[in-house]
Parts: sequence; C-alpha cells; structure tokens
Amino acid sequence: MSSNTASSSGGSGDSSAARKNSKRPKYSKFTQQELPACKPILTPGWVISTFLIVSVIFIPLGVISLFASQDVVEIVDRYDNDCIPAPARTNKVAFIQGDAPKACNRTLTVTKRMKQPIYVYYQLDNFYQNHRRYVKSRSDSQLRSPKFENQISACKPEDDAGGQPIVPCGLIAWSLFNDTYTLSRNNTPLAVNKKDIAWKSDKEHKFGNKVFPKNFQKGNLTGGATLNPDIPLSEQEDLIVWMRTAALPTFRKLYGKIETDLDNGDTIQVTLQNNYNTYSFSGKKKLVLSTTSWLGGKNDFLGIAYLTVGGICFFLALAFTIMYLVKPRRLGDPSYLSWNRNPGGGR
Amino acid sequence: MDKPPPHHESISSRWSISSKDKEVTFADLGSKRIRHGSAGADSEMLSMSQKEIKDEDARLIYINDPDRTNETFDFTGNSIKTAKYSVFTFLPRNLFEQFHRVAYVYFLVIAVLNQLPQLAVFGRGASIMPLAFVLLVSAIKDAYEDFRRHRSDRVENNRLALVFEDNEFKEKQWKYIRVGEVIKVVSNQTLPCDMVLLATSDPTGVVYVQTTNLDGESNLKTRYAKQETLQKATDLETFDGFIKCEKPNRNIYGFQANMEIDGRRLSLGPSNIILRGCELKNTEWALGVVVYAGSETKAMLNNSGAPSKRSRLETRMNLEIILLSLFLIALCTTAAATAAVWLRTHRDDLDTILFYRRKDYSVKPEGKNHNYYGWGWEIFFTFFMAVIVYQIMIPISLYISMELVRIGQAYFMTRDDLMYDESSNSSFQCRALNINEDLGQIKYLFSDKTGTLTDNKMEFQCACIGGVDYSGREPAESEQEGYSVEVDGVTLKPKMRVRVDPSLLQLTRNGNATEEAKRANEFFLSLAACNTIVPIVTNTSDPNVKLVDYQGESPDEQALVYAAAAYGFLLIERTSGHIVINVRAEMQTFNVLGLHEFDSDRKRMSVILGCPDTSVKLFVKGADSSMFSVMDEESYGDVIEATKKQLHAYSSDGLRTLVVGLRKLNDTEFEQWHSSFEAASTALIGRAGLLRKVAGNIETKLRIVGATAIEDKLQRGVPEAIESLRIAGIKVWVLTGDKQETAISIGFSSRLLTRNMRQIVINSNSLDSCRRSLEEANASVARDDDDESVALIIDGTSLIYVLDNDLEDVLFQVACKSSAVLCCRVAPFQKAGIVALVKNRTSDMTLAIGDGANDVSMIQMADVGVGISGQEGRQAVMASDFAMGQFRFLVPLLLVHGHWNYQRMGYMILYNFYRNAVFVLILFWYVLFTCYTLTTAITEWSSVLYSVVYTSFPTIVIGILDKNLGRRILLSHPQLYGVGQRAEGYSTTLFWYTMFDTVWQSAAIFFIPLFAYWGSTIDTSSLGDLWTIAAVVVVNLHLAMDVIRWNWIAHAAIWGSIVAACICVVVIDVIPTLPGYWAIFQVAKTWMFWFCLLAIVVTTLLPRFAIKFLVEYYRPSDVRIAREVEKLRSFSEPQQNMGTEMNQIRDPSRR
Repeated sequence: MSSNTASSSGGSGDSSAARKNSKRPKYSKFTQQELPACKPILTPGWVISTFLIVSVIFIPLGVISLFASQDVVEIVDRYDNDCIPAPARTNKVAFIQGDAPKACNRTLTVTKRMKQPIYVYYQLDNFYQNHRRYVKSRSDSQLRSPKFENQISACKPEDDAGGQPIVPCGLIAWSLFNDTYTLSRNNTPLAVNKKDIAWKSDKEHKFGNKVFPKNFQKGNLTGGATLNPDIPLSEQEDLIVWMRTAALPTFRKLYGKIETDLDNGDTIQVTLQNNYNTYSFSGKKKLVLSTTSWLGGKNDFLGIAYLTVGGICFFLALAFTIMYLVKPRRLGDPSYLSWNRNPGGGR
Repeated sequence: MDKPPPHHESISSRWSISSKDKEVTFADLGSKRIRHGSAGADSEMLSMSQKEIKDEDARLIYINDPDRTNETFDFTGNSIKTAKYSVFTFLPRNLFEQFHRVAYVYFLVIAVLNQLPQLAVFGRGASIMPLAFVLLVSAIKDAYEDFRRHRSDRVENNRLALVFEDNEFKEKQWKYIRVGEVIKVVSNQTLPCDMVLLATSDPTGVVYVQTTNLDGESNLKTRYAKQETLQKATDLETFDGFIKCEKPNRNIYGFQANMEIDGRRLSLGPSNIILRGCELKNTEWALGVVVYAGSETKAMLNNSGAPSKRSRLETRMNLEIILLSLFLIALCTTAAATAAVWLRTHRDDLDTILFYRRKDYSVKPEGKNHNYYGWGWEIFFTFFMAVIVYQIMIPISLYISMELVRIGQAYFMTRDDLMYDESSNSSFQCRALNINEDLGQIKYLFSDKTGTLTDNKMEFQCACIGGVDYSGREPAESEQEGYSVEVDGVTLKPKMRVRVDPSLLQLTRNGNATEEAKRANEFFLSLAACNTIVPIVTNTSDPNVKLVDYQGESPDEQALVYAAAAYGFLLIERTSGHIVINVRAEMQTFNVLGLHEFDSDRKRMSVILGCPDTSVKLFVKGADSSMFSVMDEESYGDVIEATKKQLHAYSSDGLRTLVVGLRKLNDTEFEQWHSSFEAASTALIGRAGLLRKVAGNIETKLRIVGATAIEDKLQRGVPEAIESLRIAGIKVWVLTGDKQETAISIGFSSRLLTRNMRQIVINSNSLDSCRRSLEEANASVARDDDDESVALIIDGTSLIYVLDNDLEDVLFQVACKSSAVLCCRVAPFQKAGIVALVKNRTSDMTLAIGDGANDVSMIQMADVGVGISGQEGRQAVMASDFAMGQFRFLVPLLLVHGHWNYQRMGYMILYNFYRNAVFVLILFWYVLFTCYTLTTAITEWSSVLYSVVYTSFPTIVIGILDKNLGRRILLSHPQLYGVGQRAEGYSTTLFWYTMFDTVWQSAAIFFIPLFAYWGSTIDTSSLGDLWTIAAVVVVNLHLAMDVIRWNWIAHAAIWGSIVAACICVVVIDVIPTLPGYWAIFQVAKTWMFWFCLLAIVVTTLLPRFAIKFLVEYYRPSDVRIAREVEKLRSFSEPQQNMGTEMNQIRDPSRR
C-alpha cells in the first residue's frame, strides 16, 4: 500500500489543528493489517522434504524403540486361577472369601539374564481402578493432615466405622491389594526391597507423616489389606502406590525391587498369599518380574508405530515425487483459475 | 398521476419517512413546508390530517398550566435516563439480560445439572467457572458503558432553560421541566423538549432550527408559530387554552394536534413543533409550550440502537450445530447404553465388586444401596452425566469467540485507510456487529443513484430560455471574480461560485433592452424567487465583505439560487411575508402572497408574488412531466416544442432538468385564489387535499419561461467501482427516481451499461402491456445463450404492475439473466419491493446502499444495508448496518474486508467445531475403558479451561488477523470474490471432512498412549496430562498448519497458547489436594511421554497435511493460485498475465 502511505504522510503537512479534527484513522501497519508476515505455501519441494525428514527421524526412532523393548526381560505369571485348589474352582468367590489357607507356590524360570534392578509388579486385568465410583471415593485432604480427618463425605460407603472416621477412607484405600509374594532363588531367599516404590512427591507432600491409619478395615466388609496403625501414611508405600489409581483397566503396580541380577536358567520360587478377590468380576492376577529400559517396559507398540509412520511418510515422499515428476503443475498458473478454466462463464 | 384514491393514500402515508427524497421527480423543488402564514399542512401527512384525534388517543395540555396538565395524567418529566441500570438493579437486570442469549442458558442448565448430587461430574468451582467468567466479563463491559451513560445523563439533565413561572422567566434545570410549561429558548440554544411554538422574535412567527442532532441535516429548517398565538403570547399570564395532541410517537416528520384558544380551534402540524435536540438559529428567541418531555420526546423515542441482524453464515452454522447436538446425543446414548449393558451383566456382583461396592453395610441389618437408584435411574444419570462431560461438543464458546472476532474485524474495517472519506471527514462505521462475514457473499447490489453514485452536489449547467439553449461555459481559469454587489458599503458575495455562460451573462446585463434579455431576466427572477431557500449573510475576515449562504432542504434549489445569484439576481432576505432580491445592485422587495409547497403528486411548487410594479405573478417550477401539462400550449406551442427537444438533450447527458413557468394574475383571479386558499388552509379535515386542489386550480395556462439543467456529478471512482463489482460477479441494480434518459446516461457514465449491451426497456402503462413486454423480454433473453450481455431498464410505472403480482417471477427471471438492471422513476416504497422481489426468490445475499431517507426501507429490507453518510441527513445511516463516505468504498469493503471476514469466519467456525469435538471424543474414547462410567483422565479444570484458555485465543486472533490474500491482489482480481458467493469457505461438505478428520485425530491422540501404556504402571493423572497436552499441541498445530500469514501476533498466539496450557497443567498438578499431584513432573521425566507426544502429533496431522497438499496442488482453488502468484511471482508480470485473460470475459458469473 505504498500509495496509501504516501497520501497519508502527505496529509501531515496540514496544520495540526485540522489534523486533530480529522477522523482519519491513524496509519499504522497494524491497523491496515499490513504487519510483516511470512506466508508459507505448500510447494511440492517443501512437502516432499517434510515427509522425508519425518521418515528419516521416525524410522531410526522406531528401531531404537523396538530395541529398547526387546532388551526388556519380563516374566509374567498368571496365578489367579492356579492358586485356587482345584476342588474350589467351581466357586472361587466363596473360596477367596472363606477361611481356607490361601498360600500358593509358584515357580518361575528366568529365560534370559536379568540385570538389576528387577521390578516386581502385580498386574490386574479387568480391574477398573478408573471406575467413576471408585476414583471419587477418596479424601485427599484427609491423607495429608490429621486436621482434616473428618473430611470423609466423598468416601461413602467406606467413610466411617461406628461413627468414627476411617483413615484412610474411601473405596480405593479399602480395596488395597493384599496378595503377598515371598521370593526365593534356588532355595535361597531373594530380597524384595519394598522401599521407595512410591513417588517421592507423594510420600513427602501428599501423604502426611502425622496421619496414622484409624478404624481401617473395621467395617462389616473387608476389602483388602489392613494397615499397621502405628506407621504413618507417608511410610505406607503399598497404599501410596495403590492410591495412584491406574489409568487403564489392565495395569501393573510396583510391588518391590530385586536388587540382584538374575541369570538365565535361574528358577524363582514364589510363595504367595492369594487373598485378593478379583474373582467376583473375573479379574486376572499376574505376578510380573521385569527389567526396564530407558523407554519403560516391554511394549513393541511404539516402535512399530514409529516404523509405520516413518514408512508411510517415506512412501508418501516417494509417491509425491513421482507425481510431481509425472504431472507437475506450474505454481501460480492463471489458467487454473476458475474464470479461466471455463470461459464464457458457463451457466 | 390519476390514481384511485385508496392506492394513492397508501403511497403518501408510506412516504412519510421519505420527505427527504432527492430524486428529481419527487422532490426536485424540495420545499416541504408551506411558508405562508399559518397554513400548517404537510402533504405527507395527508392521511393523518384527515383524521380527527380520538379522545382516548390524545393527550391534553393546558398551556402555561402544568399543574392542571399533569393533574389527571402524570406525564413523563423531562429528565432523561438512557442508562439502563442503577446500583441496585444492576445485578438482577444485567443477569436477566445476559441470559436472554441461548448460549448462556445452555451454560446455566449444564451448570445446574451438575449441581445435582447424582450428576455432579465436576466440582462446584469448575462447573460454574466458565459461565461465571463470561458473565463477569460482559457485566464489567455493561457496567462501564452504563456508567458513561449515567454521566452524560447527568450533564444533560442539569442543563438550564428559561421557564415561565410566577410571571417571569426563571432558569430551571432541564430535568424539572414539566409538560404544559412555557419555555423561552434563545438563539443557538438547544431545545430541552418537544414544544409547540407560541411566539417568536419574528413578527410573522417564523423560527429557524437546525436539526443536526436529530437527523444529521445541517441546513436550516423553518417552523412557525400560529398567527393566533403570536399576539396572545405577549401576555402569558392570561394565556388560556389547551392543546390536544397525539400520543408520543417516533415520527420526527409528523405531528398532529389541535389547539383551542379563546374558543377558537386551530389545527397544528409538524411545522408548528420544534423538537428536543434541535438548535435555534437566526432567531432571537422563541416561546413554546412543552408537549412531550423527557423520554417521550421524539428524539429520545428515535434513540434506538443499531438493527440486529443475523449473518447468513451463522444461520447456516446452526444447521451444523444441530448435527453436533445429534452427535452429542449419540455419544451420550452410547455411554448410557454400554453402561446399562455392563450393569445388567454384573448385576449380581455389584455388591462385592471392589471398585463398585453398591451396598453400604454400615446400615444394618441388610445394608442399603449406596448411590445406586436402580438400573433405570443409573442409565438416566449416566446419560446426563455424559451430557455434562461432553457439553463442549456444542461449541458455546464459539458464539462468544465470534462476537469478539467481529468486534476485532469491525475495528480493522473502521480503521481502514482506504475507506476514509476526506471530503466529509468520515471514516467507515460498523453499526451492526453481527454480519461482517455477509459482506463476503454478496450477489446482488441495489444502489440508489443520487447521493450514492453521485455526489448530490448540484451544479447548474445549462439553461434553456424561450427554447434557446445557453450552455456555453466560461473558461475554468477565468479571471473573473464572480458576481458581487455592494450594498451600503458592504460587498455581498454568494458563497459558491457558479461558472456562467458569457453570452447569457451579457444578455442579462442588457436589462430589458431586447425581448430575449427580458425573458432571461424573467427566468433568473423566477429561479431566485420560486423556492424555499433561506439566505444567511455571514461575516468574513474582511469586515467589508459578507458572504451570502443559501440554506435549504433541496440541493437542486440551492444550485438554482446560486446560479441566479451569479447572473445578478441575489436573494438577500426572506421572511414569511416578503423576499428581497438584489437585482443587479438594485434592491427589490417582493411580497409573498402565497406559496404552494412541493408535493410528490403535483411534482411542482409555486409561489405568488406581489412584484414591485404592483403586478401579481405566479411562478411555478417543477418536473417537466408535470409542467408541460399545465402550460398554455396554444400560445407557446413552438417554444414548448423547442424546450422539450432541449430537455431531451439535457437528460441524455445525464442532467437533471426542471421547467419554470409563470403567469400574471389579475385581481379577480387572485381574490378567488385567496379566498379558496384561506378556506382550505383553515379546514380541519382533509386540509392537504384541499390545498393541493387550490394549487392545481391556479397552476394552469402558464407561460413557459425556461428550463434548467443541473448536473449531479458522479462520485469519484464510481465507474471503476461498478466495473470491479461486476467483474466480481455482483449484479448491480440501480434504482433511481430519475427520468429514463437521465438514468440511462448515468448508467453509461458509471459503466453500469456498456455499448455492447443489449438494452431491454420495459416501459408500460398497463398490466397487459407490461406482461407482454416482460414475457417478450424473457423469451428473447432465454433465446440467445451466447455471451451477449443484456441490460434491463424498467420504469416505476411498470413496476407498479409488476410488484405484488405474478409478474414478479418473470421480471426476476429476466433480471437474473441481465448483467445490469436499471430501474428509473422508482418511488421509495418500490425500492424495498424490488429488493424483496430478489430476496424472496433466491438464497443469494443482497446488499442495498443508499444515502437518503427514501432508501431506508430498501436498506432495512436487504440482507446487508449500507448507508452513505453524505449530504442527505442521517436517516439512511441510522437504518444501515454499515456506513461510509463514498460509494467506491464498497470495493474495498466487499472485495477485501468482506472476502477476509467471510474466509476467516468460515474457517473459524469449522475450526471451533473441530477443536471442541476432538476434545470431547478423547473424553468419549476413555469412557469405553472405564467401565462406561464418566471418568475423565483429564482433570476437570483442564476440561473447563480447554475451550476457554488452552485453545481459544489463537482462533480469535487468527479470526481477526489472518488474510488468505493480500489487499492488492484482491482488488486487482475481483473474481476472487466468488469464493464467498459460492460459499467455498463454509459448507456441509467441509463440515463433514472436518468431522472425519476430527474422529481420526481424536482416535490417534487417544489410542497411541493407550496402546503404548497398556498394562503399565501409568496412573490416571499422568495419562490425563499427556492427553491434555497432546490435544492442545495438536489442535494448535492444526491451526498453525492453516494459518496463512505468520506475523508476530499469530506466532505469539499459537505458541503462547501451547505454553499457557502447559503452565496451567503444571499449576494444576502442584496442588497437593488434587489426586494428580506432581503427575506431570513424573511423567515428563520419562522418554515414553515425549515419544508418545511426537508420535501423536505427527500421526494426527499426517493425513490432513497430505490431503491438503494434494488438493491444493492438483485441484487448486482460485485463492490458492492467487496466493502462489502473490508469493512466487513479481507483481507486474502476473498482473498483466492474469489481467489479459481476465479481460476476455466480461461476465464472470458462473452460476
């Protein structure tokens, strides 16, 4: 708008009074919507190189993700069914609710050398820790400070026992996982470190070190584990882990860490107490021993996804290049304009 | 014009707003008010004045007796209150008004639903926050505006006026003035209320007022006090009488009342009332009795806001909103149905399922259901909880964003340098804020001619005197000073110079030497005398020189009087009884014995003057069609013939013509006229009709004096503008009151018509002939399908038969195929009819542009109304949606701003649908993995902030600022406007594409982390944070991909928005009492998080990117090509290139 600028600046020669009186909008690049701007357009060159760059980045990332996943050694043992004595299997719920001994022995074989730290997880399937009723049934302020131990309104029906508030209240705490595992390798006990399995931030700020369990599991129905009333919540790491509710219905929770390497061919004997009732909703229980990589656990999905996307981009780059070579269009060719394509303004 | 009375009446009543009509055939003589004595009838009030005011419709005012006046009815006092709220009423009233918007009601209903304990999805704070935020912002805005109104009200109410009280005039604040009081107003004072004039400083009762504040007209208007009250008012104490007037109404040109004093009944009309807001000018003082005060004054009643219209795009959009509601219902139904199935299959286990625990065993003995109301209710609750969670599927924030965007767009339109008019010092005005984007879709343009295409600055061009044409011009650079005359040592000069014909000037200087010279003198005397112009003598810097400024309501008359002055006939003084004309330095006084004002039926005006030589002469001036019928053809046949020929030539040149005639009246004739005039003007019923009849009786057997031709100059840039608009595929219709020849010639000079167009003229006098010619035209248009373009010219008489008739269809068909339509001799009410004819038959957008009161109906009828703020008052501007100074600004308005606004708004709507739907779908997918309960992994605060903070700002900024093409290329290639006309920026197809993309994108965002984290230790909050950030990044990058101009504001908005979202997520996660405490830090530590994010971003946008490129490269739109041209090629070269190819096609309309 150079002419425009010229005329408006030419007008400044007027006396200042006339200028003040004038309603002429003050000229600026902003008000005239002429701010300097970059106007990229998608040219074949740009698009093809974008696809190439994406594929060049994605394919290696996919490969290293896959490698990372392959590096992870994982032993998964589903025990929910096997740990119920065969005669009781017709009514698993009755068994688990009954008083019969729940101990169960499992043997795991290490098929590949596992470097420490080896994480011990329990995995639950079909357990909806993200169920709306469930996730709401907690009192975060109660967990932090004894002052708020009466804030239990969200915790129903696990809010109080005989008029006394339950600490920690709510369904989540109530249903705390209570299967226990005792591991031994080649008949020597294998230490499972249960310290520092929860987030540091949770231990330090979310779960108070002056809050002690009260009236826990004193209701008419016992959901899961009991807590030692003499240990403050900030030290109850199993609870802290459990209360980080899982996002998905199939999830693992950290049980502990084995801080020695396991060699190929080692057998691990697990003595577990099968207490936790997932049978009423046909949930599966698994014990998992797993190493981790820098990318996390064993999951090929991301690697495959990266390879796929990278592959598609490479293919598209190739296809567009061919299309560009075979059927190019001159950019800015006016003959493509609608009023030039069908002259005569075809009605 | 012999029409049956009923029809005729309806015309005149509809003309009540059109008194400012400037088309030569209707108001060329301009004067509306009878100036003679107390005859206060207005032709426009014909239908009104024939009725008596019924008692129940009247208000009774006892003059100078406010107590008695207000005894039975307490009339509104004079304090005004434009402010809407007081301190106490603000909250309830403001809330009430805000909740008039459906959007807010939706918000409210959702928020209320959420408060039910069974449905409480979000916490209190989170659910109320968005609504509270919006309400608060609007309330602050309203409060500020109201505060300003309060302030101005206070100033206004405390102004002082002189009120007659206790036998003297005392100063009193405006707010205490009551109906019935007598008020004295002095020169240059503003009137505090509407009052009926009782007396003025002028012995004849004339008063001059300026109505700028009322209707924007800066010229002086005359108002009169009744003769009967003039003397009585000297002794106000004994003044005894009452006024019976109509109830307050908003018609500023109408007033109807009777006054009874001393048992005599007088009728009052609009010329007897002066209105609040007017200023008294050229009159020392005026006395009046208050009839309407405060909020009941006509000024206040007219004080209404801008019209409210709804844009086409918004109407279209509502269809998709309904579709989205159906989606919403479908999603909620799915959630409810799957939940129902799950509950049913697990109904026996619900008591014990660890994460459900239906029974509360603390209640003995059996326990009771906790928060479970039975299967049916659970489904019901799930459904409504889903509605609450998915509420933003209906993009309520879109309505608010759209309002903000329109305000921004309006700001840039008003600030546009290209649309600033230097001559009237007016910038563009955006009065309606709802229809910016409609400017990009205009298909039909209806334009007034006078004042819109032309300047409405009349310039006297030619005279034809006694059949002889005088159209020579003195050279432009002539040294001559222009006419001036010295009176009593003071030089008087007309304010405006008129270029004169030297030979004619010479002739007039000869005095009455020859017959020719005598005729010329007579001619200019008629021009100087036969009008309603008020001369105002103003001082200049030189004390010895005074300027004579002619004020009047008709620019034609002004031009004629200035012309007369240039030839030595300087009108110097006008009172109601006489006029003083300086004829070549000799002062001559003429008594004004009678005046018949102009009315649109007679199409002429006349004045009866007692000349200095004691003869009585009748001067008549009017449109040729009405004048030739009252000429004495027997005696002056040859002159008439010559004049007719000359007139034809004038109008072919596009000049406006008037004919002047006169007749000497003998005593008997005058007496006869006088008595019938007196009788007519005092008649109570049908006064206007009677007066017209009196006028008609005397205006006969005239001797032709001459004819004038006035040029109404085209505004600057009009031909180019019309050409641009035509190339842009806009059909231009010009509606004018001018004669056919004048109209056609203007059509050519404005390039509306071109030589290679075939003209079809419809000019019929009966229904049958009209039908015949239309059908013929239709057949001929349908026959030739080649690209010969056709121009349709139709006149007002034919339109009478066409409108409201089945012929409308035929006319529409013909008009559709014509590239230009010219309607001449159109009456104001027909203008709206023509617009309606097109509007009702097509879904295309119509725009009407005009400047006068006669265009108001048309402006209101059209989808978009544009007012020219020019010479003719502000009526058109007040009714318009957009107002600007010049016709040519339409080009930047439509082709540039309209194009931008349409494209921006279209994109913004689609994008808003998309961004909300993506989010809702992410929430929905998650429900499938939470046992079909409405858990959200994304925190409730993020859900609420998503549409308010995380993603809203960039769309608003882009909606205001992005430009798909530069201004230059849009102006140089008007065809690019077709994008809007073909609705390419927003359509159902685009909507569906967007929705498919939405489903893909939401699925990618949701499922990539789902599979990547399946069976891992990931917790809800961490995954929720990943989803939140991924959604925000993707949605903003999606926008970034479509941004065309990256200036720093766009960068700031988009990247800033992502950063702001991240900050919000972090802030939410450092609150220890929320379950998600520290989650974002935990998850962002892991590589997995970043790998997921990268995979999501690329995967979601990949298909869109590829398809966008393919479409743009292989199926390029016009805009895309133009962008390539803009970017890749130097400007001059493609312009020629595209230009030549463009020029081959005259008519680019493709549909």
